[in-house]
Order: sequence, then structure tokens, then C-alpha cells
Amino acid sequence: MMLALAERLQPLGVATVSKGVGLTFFGVIAAGLSFAPHVSAHFIPDEGTGTQVDAAVVATWRSASVVDQYEFWQIPGTLMGGDAYPVTSGLSVDEVTVKAARRLDANTFVKLGLGVHSGGSQSGDEHQSVAVEHASLGFICCNTKDLRASGDASQIAAEFVAEIGILSAAFTPELLSHRSTASFSEPSLIADVFFGRHFHDQGARVWLHETAGWSAGAEIWQGKAFPATEGDDGGAWDVFARYQFDRDKLNMTLGGWWYTANAQSRADHRYGGGHQHTPVAPPGKSASQFPDIRYTGDLVLLGVDASMAYQWSAASSVGVKLSWAQLTMDGALHDAGGREAALEADQYAVWMQPYLNWQQHTLAVRLERLVADNRLSGASAATLGESAGVLNPGGHTPQRTSLAWTYQWRPQTTFRTEWIQDDTLEEAQSRFTLGVIWQGSLLSGGHAHGAY
Amino acid sequence: MRHRAAVMLTTDQFGYLRGVFLIASLAISLSGCQIESQTMVDDEGARESTFDWRVPASTPLPVEPEDNPMTEAKFQLGRHLFYDARLSVNGEISCASCHHQSKAFSDGIQRPVGATGEVHPRNSQSLTNSAYFNNLTWGNPALATIEQQIMLPLFGDNPIEHGIDESNFEQIIMTVQADETYQRLFLNAFPEQDDPLLGDLAWDNVVKAIGSFVRGMTSFNSAFDRGDLSASARRGEALFNSERLECFHCHDGYNFSDATIDRGVSFLEPKFHNTGLYNIDGMGAYPEPNTGRHEVTGNPDHMGQFRTPTLRNVAVTAPYNHDGSVATLEEVIRNYAAGGRVITSGENAGDGRVSPFKDGVLVPFQITDAEVDDLVAFLESLTDHDFLADPRFSNPWESTGENL
Repeated sequence: MMLALAERLQPLGVATVSKGVGLTFFGVIAAGLSFAPHVSAHFIPDEGTGTQVDAAVVATWRSASVVDQYEFWQIPGTLMGGDAYPVTSGLSVDEVTVKAARRLDANTFVKLGLGVHSGGSQSGDEHQSVAVEHASLGFICCNTKDLRASGDASQIAAEFVAEIGILSAAFTPELLSHRSTASFSEPSLIADVFFGRHFHDQGARVWLHETAGWSAGAEIWQGKAFPATEGDDGGAWDVFARYQFDRDKLNMTLGGWWYTANAQSRADHRYGGGHQHTPVAPPGKSASQFPDIRYTGDLVLLGVDASMAYQWSAASSVGVKLSWAQLTMDGALHDAGGREAALEADQYAVWMQPYLNWQQHTLAVRLERLVADNRLSGASAATLGESAGVLNPGGHTPQRTSLAWTYQWRPQTTFRTEWIQDDTLEEAQSRFTLGVIWQGSLLSGGHAHGAY
Repeated sequence: MRHRAAVMLTTDQFGYLRGVFLIASLAISLSGCQIESQTMVDDEGARESTFDWRVPASTPLPVEPEDNPMTEAKFQLGRHLFYDARLSVNGEISCASCHHQSKAFSDGIQRPVGATGEVHPRNSQSLTNSAYFNNLTWGNPALATIEQQIMLPLFGDNPIEHGIDESNFEQIIMTVQADETYQRLFLNAFPEQDDPLLGDLAWDNVVKAIGSFVRGMTSFNSAFDRGDLSASARRGEALFNSERLECFHCHDGYNFSDATIDRGVSFLEPKFHNTGLYNIDGMGAYPEPNTGRHEVTGNPDHMGQFRTPTLRNVAVTAPYNHDGSVATLEEVIRNYAAGGRVITSGENAGDGRVSPFKDGVLVPFQITDAEVDDLVAFLESLTDHDFLADPRFSNPWESTGENL
């Protein structure tokens, strides 16, 4: 039964669990449903396998847009950016990804990933473009796992990995999940507000990869990914550590991370940052020009991710996930007109996600809350704060409750429906979704999915 | 019915879960974190002033010079001086001679004439929101305060405007000193001075008072400000902000000028633009002496550069451009649409479209007659009719029967 379940879930990416993790946990992780929950790994193709190419498509119909077409999505009290576009009513292709990986020899591997994500545009024109999300070369050093597997018990199973190129962050599971691999079609507030939804940047990573349950390492980034900026005074780096523990039917994962970045004249590139114009609204509607307020300063984020799952039978499990992230900003808001205001901010976001998995069904609830404690000073404090969205005069505390039910209809196809009570903006909204997820292997040498 | 009950049960469960979640959040908050969002704002006194600026709360206040803070008493004294023709060599020219309230303090003619009959090379600018400009006059980057600028029309000799000089300034100030109204107004305006009408101090106070009056000419009550735009004006607004016309790049912000400064602006680079109005030598030259910023700096690259005027009340400030050589707003728009002005004959003949000094943002665009009408309608919506007739800015001598 366990193997049958494994086969069914394999295309969803859970097969990327390392050799050191038993099938019990494989089932537990699968039951977490999030198709690739807190797997503390980035995928490393196995030696001897061919090129692996996987793809995913997520399409979702939503009953409502989080903001009107000619409005900007700015959660009160926060500075947003990156690719955190608001969800829109109607049918949306949330995600299209194609990922390839190949082990070149005993010590090297390459990965390439392309992605298209839905991106709102105030003009109403969807400006989706194909982005290279992964293009990296990896080196495996001092791999003693294979030796241990071959019976040399004197060796401590360890795998040190170095990767360079365009990478996605490994420091938090928050940034590993895509809409095709998460329980919910809408990213968490931590991902959207603190990291601009996606994190793909040029950089390098050195880490201990899934050794005795431990993964730990450090990453350095050029700064192309929100919330950093690139350049002489930009860039970012992070350190992280995670431990995965399993005993009998219980699986637990606990991880912590610390990320620091510098931003120089960082814009909200969703709506501004370049040559700006007021969107042209149709007759009877109005549109306004996005205020191009920039942020220059330091950012420090730290967070804790945890998950616990209990597998009470081969086809059923229950669990809970928790994530907490703290953002500290110390810098200035400014505009092209010479206005400037000092900004100090302490913001944290937390979510909790209990879930229940039974056969092909998964029921998950996610409760989220974001608290922004900001201090603005300077003659332009109110003006810039209002334009940038951090003023939050009503003291609104964003919250969101999401309920998702997923049904895995075929090994490669899953249906998802959600109900969302969205209190992230001052005007609350309820919406529901219907969606379909397809994930499959286009070229099989294993499965590269979900662990990039 | 059963379905409804099920939903209610589910809602209760959510409430329970949210309660648990709130407890978890509270636990986090015990670590020292804030449990509700808040943004504390310290504007460091940016909205503080003893003067009633009549500026909307959403608009920053202008900068007040440290050596001439705004007071109502100085404003009122300056108002009297602004309308007083005795402050000229022939007793016929006041500030108001070239700055009519009904025309947003411009004068409606191409170029004004000074006290000695000399024609000024520049068109009289509107004084609307002068307090917000980082440079005064059309093209002088060295004039940073209204007080500095006021010295030019009063005492300048190139051109002569009021015609006050060393030969007559004592006599002129004596007429002020002898006026009982002024004696009272000066004492009210400068209570810290024993004799604010004494000698050179009197002239210093004259300049400060007129500066205070001009600085207080704020205008933010147009149909645009009230959101009361006609359909045509709304279409014009969209054109104004469009990719095609690019108007807003120079005429941006609440004052419709990129040369705007206020208390929130720490530093602003001088903003001057060559709009391709002239090209008399095929190499971008403007007619002397009206070469704009170049006239002051001597930098060849500054040829024909002028400061962006505000568009507030622009519909009542014709004729347009620095020398008043463009009669109507429609003509202004069509010059921009052409990418510059072409003058086919006369001493200023030339093709401004190909001027090497023309600002890069000015590129030709197609526009229909109807769109020109819409754009003009939008510009007309920027007229603050209250400002044009507000007794606060009117001639005080008329209201007191002392018509000067």
C-alpha cells in the first residue's frame, strides 16, 4: 500500500526525498499535502540517471479580484514588490514551469528551469514572460553517503554541495514551494510581502545536504531578487539550518534562517521603477499613476519553519505546519523629487496550517497574520509613507484564512478548491477558487520536480 | 437547511482555529513584538506654521526662510506694498501692474513695460504657488528665494521695471514712512524692531513683506482638486498622463512642475528644459537676450533652457512661453505635437524641432483636434476661480478708499 501511494505521489515531486529518509516519511510528507512540504532539500539528480525534465501547469478560476483592475495591491503597513501581483477574478494560469536536471558525473550536476507566473498589470494587459528561474552548476564534495550505502559503516554519511548560477533560495521552505506544490494557490503573506513571492537570483550556495537529518549552509546573492537590489551597495546573503526527525509514525522538521540584504533605491517593480505612465482606463473608469517611492537601506529577516505530521495509517495522516518570519528595516523612503523620510520597521508574519490527508483527499487550513510596526520620521514622512503604503493610518493588521480541499484525480492531475477570507486589506473580502494542477515528467530519468 | 447548518459548524470551527492562532500570535508577541500594526509618524514640524497657508492637508507646506518666517501681519503689509505704485520711479508702476489677480497674477500681454518705458524681454509669469518653486523667474538658477527675486524688479536696471535706484530710493521710502497706514502695518509686521521704517532697514522690510505676500499666494481649489472634471477634461487628463504626450514628465506633482520644492524636499537639482521653441542659427540658438539658463551660466548646453511653469491657472495666463510668443494653449500643444516650433520667416526663423539642445523627452506625437480640445479642457480645469477673486489677495487700497 505504501508503495502504491508512493507511486501515485511520485510525479508530484515527493520522490525527491533523499535516500536517507525512509518510506514512512515519504508517506507522511505526501500526506502533508502540500505536495512537497518541508522537504529540506533542493533537488540533486542521482548519479547514473539521464536527463530529467518535469513540467507543471496550474490553472485557477477565482470568484473575485483582491483589488480592482486599476488599483494597486499594497497591504497596509508594508513595502511590497517583486512578483507579488494580486490575484484576479476569472481564469488565470497561475504557473507554468519546465525544469530539467542532469547529473554529469559523480561530482557535478546541472539544472535549468523556466517559469511563467501570472502577473497582474494595472493596464489590464497581462505581461507574462518566460523567466529563467534556474540555471546552475553544482558540485558534490565528500559524498560519503554512497560509501555508507555500500557497507562502509566507518563513514559518516555526509554530502557537501556547492552550487553556482541562477538559484532559488534554499534557506526557507517558504520560497521552495510553487503553486503547483503548495496546498494553496495563493502564496503566503511571508512569501508575498517579505520576498515578493519568488526568489530567483544569481548566487552561490554551499551546504551540508541532508545528512543525518541535517541540512545547513550559506548562500550569497547578487541582489536581483526582492527585497534586495544589486549593485555595489546591494546584494544579500543568508545562513540556514534544518533538522528532520522521524520516529515511528511521527515526523518533525524544524529549521531556522537568517537573511540580510541591502537595497539601493529599491522600487516596487510591479507597478513602477522605470519609465512610468498613468494607465489609460476605459471610459467611465479612472486610473492613477503609481507613486514611484524608493527604499534605500538595510534589511534583516529571520525566521523559523516547523512541521509535524502523524501517519496513522498507510493512506491517512494529520499534521500541522508553522512558519514565522521577522523583518527589520532601517533605511529611508525617497522619491525623484528630493523627498526623503527615515523608516524603521519591525514586521513579522506568521502562519499556521493544520491539514488532514485521507487517500486522495487533503483538507488544509491556513491562518495568517502580519503585524507591521513602522516608524517614519522627516518632513515628508506622511507624504512618502502614504504613497509607499506603509502609513497605515487605520492601524490595520492584515489577516487571512484559507481553506483548501484537493483531490488527486490521476497521478498527474489534481483538482483544488479553496475558500479564502481575506482581511489583508482594510476592506475584507471572501472569495473561492476552483483549480487544476497538472504535473508530469516530460523526459524521465527520475523526477526533478519540486525540489529546485 | 442541513447544508446551511454544516456551513455554520464550519464557521465555528474556523473561529476556534483562529482563536488558537491568535493565542499563538500573542505568544509571539510576548517576545517583545507588537501585536497590532501601527505606523508612528514624526514629521518634525513640517505641518507647523503660525501662518494660515490654506493648503490642503495632503499637500506639503512651502519652505519658510529662516530670516523671514511667515506671519499674517507681514502678509498684509506685503499686500499693501504689492499694490502700491509709489514704489516706482514715476509713481505709476506697482507689482500689480504686471501681475493681475484676475489673470493669476500674470498680465495678459506678451511682454510688460517698465516705469521708464523699457519693454521686458520676458512674459510676466503667474505668481500662483510661487512659494513652491526652487528657482524663481523663467531661467535664473541663482534665484532661490522670492526675496532675492523681488530685488530685481524693484532695483534692477536690465531691464528697468520699477526704476528704483540710488538717485530716488530715499525719496520713495520717505513716502512710505510718511504714510500712517504703513506706520501701523510695519509695526505690526515687525514687532521685534523698534523702528521698522528706519533707513535701509525699511527697504529690507519692504522686500520681506512683499515676499511674504507673494509666498502666501497658494492656489489649490480648482475643479481638478475637487475631482469635478467634465468628460472632456477627464479625457484630457488621460492624454496629459499618456505615453504619447508625456506632458506629466515636466509638469508633474501637485504643482504641475518638476521645479517644485517644499518642506519635505531635502535637495532638488535645478530643472530647466529647452522645448525647441527657437533655432535661429540652425545650431539651437535662442534670440538674445532670452537664452534662458544659458544667459546666467554661459554654458552652451544651457541654451534655451527655462524652468517648467506651474499649470495651475494656466488657462488665464496667456500668452505663453517665456517671451509670450505663443498666443493660446492650443498653439502650445501643437508646438509640442510637432516636437518643436517652426518659424518660417522673420529674424527668428528656424526649425526648433531639430535643435540640438531640445530636451530629450520632447518627441513629436499625433493628436486630433478633438484631443486638443480635451487637453485644453483639462488645463482649464486647473483654474482656481476662488483664487482669482479672493479678497485676501486683492488690492487693499481699493477697499480702504485709498486707491493707488
